[in-house]
Parts: sequence; C-alpha cells; structure tokens
Amino acid sequence: MMEELLQRISESLQKGKAKDVKVMVQEAIDSGMSAQKILNEGLLSGMNVIGVKFKASEIYVPDVLIAARAMKAGTELLKPLLVRDGVQAIGTVVMGTVKGDLHDIGKNLVMMMMEGKGLQVIDLGTDVPAEKFVAAAIEHKAQIVACSALLTTTMSEMKSVVEAFKAEGLREQVTIMVGGAPITEAFCKSIGADIYRPDAATAAEAAAEAAIGKSA
Amino acid sequence: MNGKERILKTLKHEPVDRVAWVPFAGVHAGSLIGKNATDMLTDGEALFDGLMQVHKLYQPDGLPVVFDLQVEAEILGCEMHWADFSPPSVKTHPLADTQDMLCDCLQPSADKGRLPMILDVMRQVKVAVGAETALYGLICGPFTLASHLRGNELFMDLILEAEYVQNLMAYTTATALKMVDLYAEAGMDVIAVVDPLVSQISPDHFTDACHTAFKTIFDYVRVKGLASSFFVCGNATRQLEVMCLTGPDSISIDENVNMKAAKEITDKFNITIGGNIPLTTLMLHGTQQENMKYVVNMLDSLGHDNLIIAPGCDMPYHVPAMNAIGAAQAVRETDATREMVKHYEAPKMDIEVILPDYQNLKKPLVEVFTLDSATCAACTYMMEAMNVAGEHFGSTIDLIEYKFTEKVNIARCIKMGVTNLPCVYINGELKWSSIIPSRDELFGVIDGMLS
Repeated sequence: MMEELLQRISESLQKGKAKDVKVMVQEAIDSGMSAQKILNEGLLSGMNVIGVKFKASEIYVPDVLIAARAMKAGTELLKPLLVRDGVQAIGTVVMGTVKGDLHDIGKNLVMMMMEGKGLQVIDLGTDVPAEKFVAAAIEHKAQIVACSALLTTTMSEMKSVVEAFKAEGLREQVTIMVGGAPITEAFCKSIGADIYRPDAATAAEAAAEAAIGKSA
Repeated sequence: MNGKERILKTLKHEPVDRVAWVPFAGVHAGSLIGKNATDMLTDGEALFDGLMQVHKLYQPDGLPVVFDLQVEAEILGCEMHWADFSPPSVKTHPLADTQDMLCDCLQPSADKGRLPMILDVMRQVKVAVGAETALYGLICGPFTLASHLRGNELFMDLILEAEYVQNLMAYTTATALKMVDLYAEAGMDVIAVVDPLVSQISPDHFTDACHTAFKTIFDYVRVKGLASSFFVCGNATRQLEVMCLTGPDSISIDENVNMKAAKEITDKFNITIGGNIPLTTLMLHGTQQENMKYVVNMLDSLGHDNLIIAPGCDMPYHVPAMNAIGAAQAVRETDATREMVKHYEAPKMDIEVILPDYQNLKKPLVEVFTLDSATCAACTYMMEAMNVAGEHFGSTIDLIEYKFTEKVNIARCIKMGVTNLPCVYINGELKWSSIIPSRDELFGVIDGMLS
C-alpha cells in the first residue's frame, strides 16, 4: 500500500503534476511514513527517472522544469520534517553562471538535477564574479563549486574561479565542476578544474559521487 | 558560376560546380579589423569594414551581414548586457511577470533600435559585393524571441499555458515577418531564421507550438522571392524532421548533430543542409591543418548535392583567421588541400592523460576512438555498432567514445598507440581497427569477458 503510494508520487512527479504530488506527499506524511523515505523513494526516485530520460533525449527542458516544479511542491511539505529529523543533504554545491554571462537555462537544469540527487544547491545566479564563488563556498561550507558558461568568451572566467580558490588556499577543499555548451573535457583539464560533464543528468551524478567522496 | 549563383542554386536544389561555403563571421569579423563585438554591432562603419575583410580573406559564397539574435528583442523592450567579444545578452524580459501581450506599436520598423544602422550596412554591402555574393539577413526565430520576451517561464508555459504560448508565438511571428520585409527591401538574398532554442523542446512541442510560426515565415520568404534557411544550435537530431516539415529551403546545424545522419533526413525532404565545423574544439583551438583536414573529410564523406559547408554557428570572436582561411581553402580547392594535409599529424600534446588501470577494471571497458562520429562516415557506423552493444549490455559494461577532434583525445590516442581511426579497444587491447565487427562477433567478445 505504502510502496504503491510512493510509486504514484514518483509517477506524478515525472508527469509534472504538482498538485497531485502535494496531496500524495501529505497523505504519506499523515500515514506516518518518514520524511526521508518519502523523499528518497518517492520524489528523488521520480527525479532520477527524469534525469535518465533527459540524458537519453527522451524528454526535454520543459518536461524537466515541470517535474522539478512538482518536486518542489513535495519537498516544501517535507523540509520542516527533514530538519526536525536531522536529515542532512549528501553535500552542498554552490553554483552560478560565470561573470559576464547571463545564460541560466543550463545552470537551472543542472541545479534541479543535483537537488534531485539529494544535494543542497546554493544558486548564485548569473554574472557571478570569481570571488563570489569563493565567499559562498566558505559561507555554506560547500564541497562542490559548479560553474556554467554558454559563451566562448566567458568560459575563460572559469579559470579565474579556479585561481581564486587557489589564492585563498582552498583549492584542495572543493571539487570544481564546469559545464556549458562550449566547454570540453580538454578545457576543463587545461584550467585545472576537476570535473566536466556534457549534460545535466551526468553532472548531477558526478556531483553526488564527488560529494560522497569528499565527506567520506 | 559566382558565389551568389552557387548559393541560390544550392538552395533551389540544383547542381553546382562545387560545394558552397558560408562563414558565419559575426562579431568575429571585428577581430580582423581591431574592433570589439559592441563596435561591430553598433557602429555601421566598423560592421561594413569587418564584412569587407571577411569577404576578402574567407572568400565566401554567402555572407551573413549581422549575426545578433537580440536586435528584435532590444526593439521590443528587453535590456541588453553588452560584451567585448560576443553579441549582447538579454538582461530583462518584459513579459516575465505578465501574460499581457506587447503592443503592436512596438513591432520593428526601419527607424527603430539598431535597424537604421543595420539596413544601411546591408545596402552598402549589397553595392560592394552583392552581385557576386549571396547576402544573408539573419532574424531571430519566433521561439527564441518568445523566450527573450518571456524568460525561462516560456518552457513551462508550453505545458501549462498552451493558449498563451500560441498568442505569444503569433506576436513573435509578426515580428519575424516585419524583419523579412525590411531585410528583403535592403537587398538580402537569403533570410535565415535563427532559433537555437528549438533543440530544447520535444518534436511534439515543436509541432504544437512552433510549426505554424515557422511555416508562415518560410512561406512568406518564398512569396517575397527570397531563399530561406533555418539555423538551429545544440543537439537538434530529433527535431530535424519536424523542422523540415515547416518548409525551409535549407537547414543549418552545429557540431552536436551528426551531419551524415542529418543529411539523410534533409535529403528525404529535398532540403539543403549546412554545417557543421566545430566552433570551439576546431575553429577556435585547432590548427589550420586540422581545420583543413576536417573540412576535406566532411566533403569526402557527404554527398555534395544540397550541401553547404559552414561553421556550426556564429564563429567565436577569437577564431584565428588562418583557421577560417584553411577551412575556406578546403572547400574551394579540396583536392589540393587533401594533398597538402595528407601527412599532417597533430603536434605533440603536453596534456597529461591517465589511462585506466586496465588490469583491475570492475567491468569490461569498450573504448571507441573516432575521428568524430558526427561527421566521419566510418566512425558513425563504428559508433552505431558499439552503441547497439551499449544498449544490449547496459550497465554491465562501460562504453566511451574518444573523438579525435578534442585535443585531450589526441593525446590519449598517442599514449594508447592508436594508429588507425576508427578503432575499438576493449580493456586496453586493440580489437578492431577500421573494421566494424558484426553484432555476433562483438557480442561474443563482450559475453566472453562477462562470463
């Protein structure tokens, strides 16, 4: 019965039915199920399927955004309970589009996918200078710093982010991820960043692995 | 046959003497004359001088006059964030918080925004080189323009507010038609509708929300007696068919789409395809010889009818001129260029590559080394064969493609001792070189490793 309810939460999330997800998450809470179980086996499991389908180009940006909206509707109900139960995110990511670049569709998708993997993501927005990445990473004790760029002319700002962490003596403490249309593995290596992934789903997987690795 | 005739015949699907070449030198033209991107997009003199330099150095058959998808958005009230080395970005979206439609009175006319400067340059370029070169007027596609006006909310509107999206698309279609009128009057031969965002929505959403808009625009361009092109960016493989159904004379794609597979689709509709020299890995970071070799390889692996060679999209500002000249030469003098670069080997890399610990892998590792499965026919088939295995064996194996177009992969090829492309290594051992294994043979080898 409970398993079936979790399954329905996952399926409704995948279809982007925010209202249904909210009602069913409340139903699950009322039945005494733990918030963590609802999160992991209902919402995150649904978001995982979205990630896999997006990676395989079976679904597109609108479907991901609508699923993420449904996930948000569910997690809002769970958040106070998760805090009460002392449930921690698996890691913290500070994320932003680098200085000079205002594009945020890619960043937002990666952010949603990362949240779907159980990571806490601090969104720094767009046009983010290197020093702001550093300040936010310190403030939020982030294990991961994720930089996005769409333009060939702004991608070099990612190097400034890496250098800023070096200058503060924090380079070893954080995993620096880079992504965006013009970014390649070679570029990632050439600027001394740690991880490049070509799409939102694999970026979220890599971030989750890195966060677990950092906290292990 | 001059360049203009070559382009127009190619877009009418008629035979030509050689494949046509269209370098998308937008803000990049500024790098040829010491001007920045903002100069190129706001100062008519700089724009004209830059285009003349592009014409002189890259000898194009077709020449886009201005490559900036924000011209219309700026007129319609979006604020811009200007940059030195790229076109401006949209900073604010006038419809972000409202579903009210903009006033028709805001629609473009010859005296609004940067249009007086752009139209003036178009006329000058027409006089200067328009007799022998086809001029492209680029307009912002209706879906991307809708996103400029509405912001990212547009993506969710597609699902939640279909009627609103219809209204917004009707508005942006009207904008496009005004731009077609203005650019036709200024002497453009080809209208390119540039809509990078259509690769981000499903073919079904495209059909529901965008088909009518694009069909209306391409039909209108035809009525005006001009040729049309549909530019898209990103992996638009799955959208190509529905894009074809809107009836453009040509489609232009970037390196995210497999050119050979794309051409099979466009050929079915008798639509010309243009593309798709990789912008960053090759044009920006590659050598001249790499660019020449890549273009020769494209020409050797694709049918020459209904084909235009072009960069994947607007060239980055800092592309070395010699790389674009190399690409131009490869198109214009393919046989001589093939001979020039046949012994060319990429310079030694100082990139450190760490090979996997092949003796202690958790599961079989299939490594496919290709020139680029998106453009090299043999590589396409090799990669397709491996992808079949990837689907069959799922997570029990690891499968990875290393494209020779990326420097780090060239370094990996050198370290692995790869001599022929495409080839396949399994667990670090060369299994197939240039020969694509049969399904049975491939599955047999992998099964043997799994058991």
